[in-house]
Amino acid sequence: MPVSYYIILASALFCIGVAGVLTRRNAIIVFMCIELMLNAVNLLLVAFSKMQNIATPPGSVSVGGSDAQIFVFFIMVVAAAEVSVGLAIIVMMYRNVHSIDINFLNRLKN
Amino acid sequence: MDITTIVFWFLSALALFSAIMVITRKNPIFSVLWLIIVFFAISGHYLLLNAQFLAVVNIIVYAGAIMVLFLFVLMMMNLENLPVVNKNIWMKFLGVISGGLLLCILVSTSKSAADMNLKTIIMKEGNIGLIENLGKVLFTKYALPFEISSILFLSAMVGAVVIGKKES
Amino acid sequence: MNALILSAVWGIILMFCSILVKNKKAIGYIAAFGLLTILIGNIAETYGTQITHYNIYPMLLLDRFGLFFNTIAILSVFIFVLLSLIEIRKTGKYEPEFYTLIFFVICGITILTSYQNLLMLFLGIEILSIPLYILTGSDKKNLKSNEASLKYFLMGAFSTGIMLLGIALIYGGTGTFNLQPGTHSVVGTYHGISFLEITGLIILMCAMAFKASVAPFHFWAPDVYDGAPTPVTSFMATIVKVTAFLAFFKLCEVRVTDTLTAVNWKMIFAVMIVATLFIGNITAIFQQSVKRMLAYSSIAQAGFMMYAIFSLNDVAKEGLLYYAMAYSLATIGLFATMSKIKDYSFEGYNGLAKKQPTLAATNAIFLLSLSGIPLTAGFFAKYYMLASVIKTGSYTWLVIVGVCFATISIYYYFRLIQAMYFKTGNPDTIDHEITPFFKNMLIVVAVFIVLLGAFPQLLLNWFYF
Repeated sequence: MPVSYYIILASALFCIGVAGVLTRRNAIIVFMCIELMLNAVNLLLVAFSKMQNIATPPGSVSVGGSDAQIFVFFIMVVAAAEVSVGLAIIVMMYRNVHSIDINFLNRLKN
Repeated sequence: MDITTIVFWFLSALALFSAIMVITRKNPIFSVLWLIIVFFAISGHYLLLNAQFLAVVNIIVYAGAIMVLFLFVLMMMNLENLPVVNKNIWMKFLGVISGGLLLCILVSTSKSAADMNLKTIIMKEGNIGLIENLGKVLFTKYALPFEISSILFLSAMVGAVVIGKKES
Repeated sequence: MNALILSAVWGIILMFCSILVKNKKAIGYIAAFGLLTILIGNIAETYGTQITHYNIYPMLLLDRFGLFFNTIAILSVFIFVLLSLIEIRKTGKYEPEFYTLIFFVICGITILTSYQNLLMLFLGIEILSIPLYILTGSDKKNLKSNEASLKYFLMGAFSTGIMLLGIALIYGGTGTFNLQPGTHSVVGTYHGISFLEITGLIILMCAMAFKASVAPFHFWAPDVYDGAPTPVTSFMATIVKVTAFLAFFKLCEVRVTDTLTAVNWKMIFAVMIVATLFIGNITAIFQQSVKRMLAYSSIAQAGFMMYAIFSLNDVAKEGLLYYAMAYSLATIGLFATMSKIKDYSFEGYNGLAKKQPTLAATNAIFLLSLSGIPLTAGFFAKYYMLASVIKTGSYTWLVIVGVCFATISIYYYFRLIQAMYFKTGNPDTIDHEITPFFKNMLIVVAVFIVLLGAFPQLLLNWFYF
């Protein structure tokens, strides 16, 4: 499988996420689109990790490319931490204004 | 067309279709469910790429923990009687346009990257994705970031408690 | 490494303080003591004493530049905590947690000043940002604080996604996460650089510019700085922003120099500098609230710090250290004074010189320093930045642009001095909070700024020896 297929697939998923962030006004859906973006990056990294990996004779441990998979692991770690904080902030917001709409936030400014 | 190629195209189509469903559904609950399908499709890709550990972790952490957290929060909120805010069709249009432009840039990058055209991914081979081999790298070369991520978790924990606690 | 370990340990100690220490007033002093130990630990490490000999090489590299910056940052946090002891006690009832998060931010700072791997850059940025999302929302009953927190969080998470895409593309192009790019392949590349790496670098630069609030990625800054509780704004606009710049500088120092054959980075950075200076200075003129004016002025100052990233030479390095010190101290002082005044508009400052002469005099010095008047630290900070551009020999018109905008900035800084000294009024100050200790601290900071301005080599000699 050529690696460019995976680059295009991951880019498409990422851009769907970006479009979602820019078009949706519900804070939770915006946040979910950000998770989608992170997952697209994860897929891209795993594909690159496979590309760097040099195939060795069967039975022995192949070398190269494990960095990217570790990186994906750390992205998941950070995403989990971010989600816990982000949802707490959204809940706090909801308690005060009974809305999670982002347009509503902009109206508060004036 | 061998079975791997068919699975690849099926999973890709599924992931893209579900991702579009995530951003177009009105009801956030449906968005969450479609997003879980995206995660399963991506996990399928990980299996094709021989990243078994990440495939399992992806399902456990993303589909199992993070999405359930989202569902909890959604159900805690009463989304029925949210104030209706006027929708700006131009903003939506601009958002889709800018997402599409970014996609064009990324695709043209990958097309112009002549060094990438030669490279291929050999499916169903290699064993770096196994938990044993990843663990060895994680606890030798990446031991320091592993320790440091504990600080990140601590601050997220403190933060979630501080922010989430109900003020009396 | 000393500072990293000590700040993590002190963060945990402060966490337990919330149940173990009954005297609420003591917590601030415990935190200040903790900062002092971290400061001493870091200075000791600069001269070669380490607590542990943990092998950190492929991930972090503690060089003199980074360690010296750590000293400056920790000193600024120390002064910040001493000046806002009462303020922090007032924002919500989670005082120990507030300090815990500040200690964790210091962990992030020490990582960002020494990272050698893009994974550490990512983790450092996240450790820096996640506590800040929480601190921004720490005034839970205040709608403005909530709004700022949610806005900051969503935009910060979005920029994290962008940053990760950049890192992933760089990995695809070079096959490594190391800051040092290693050898480039020649086949199918553009001037020896893979297209993926170029795109990835540009995307990563956008994300870093977002964190450092450089135009055109500055739009979050005014709203967030305005909505956050004043001590948090002071912390975010100074120490955190300067650290983001240092991380940006470290990235550019290696990667931009490496890819200059393929991308015209100087042009991109020049456009960013002009845009940042223009937006920051021009919008600051029209603000009616001092807090918002300082938010825009911090964007304008970010434009000046961009000069260091534009020129990337030794003078820029020295200048960045000097700017970090001068800018942080002056802004922390201004915000600390502002939190003692109830009305944040310019009218609220009318006649401050009559009622609180010490506050007015020190604030005047801070404002003079920010506008870059000679004999204050701000003058030499700007001087070093402009000198670094002259040293590169190209784009010297940027110097003229910088001087012009520095002149414009005098207008809005002097407007505040004018309100304090030449207008009559009765400012609504919180008198019982203006303790002799607070006044003395302000005087110490002001004297320090004047000393740095009179003897600029004071700081830099220390850097070299």
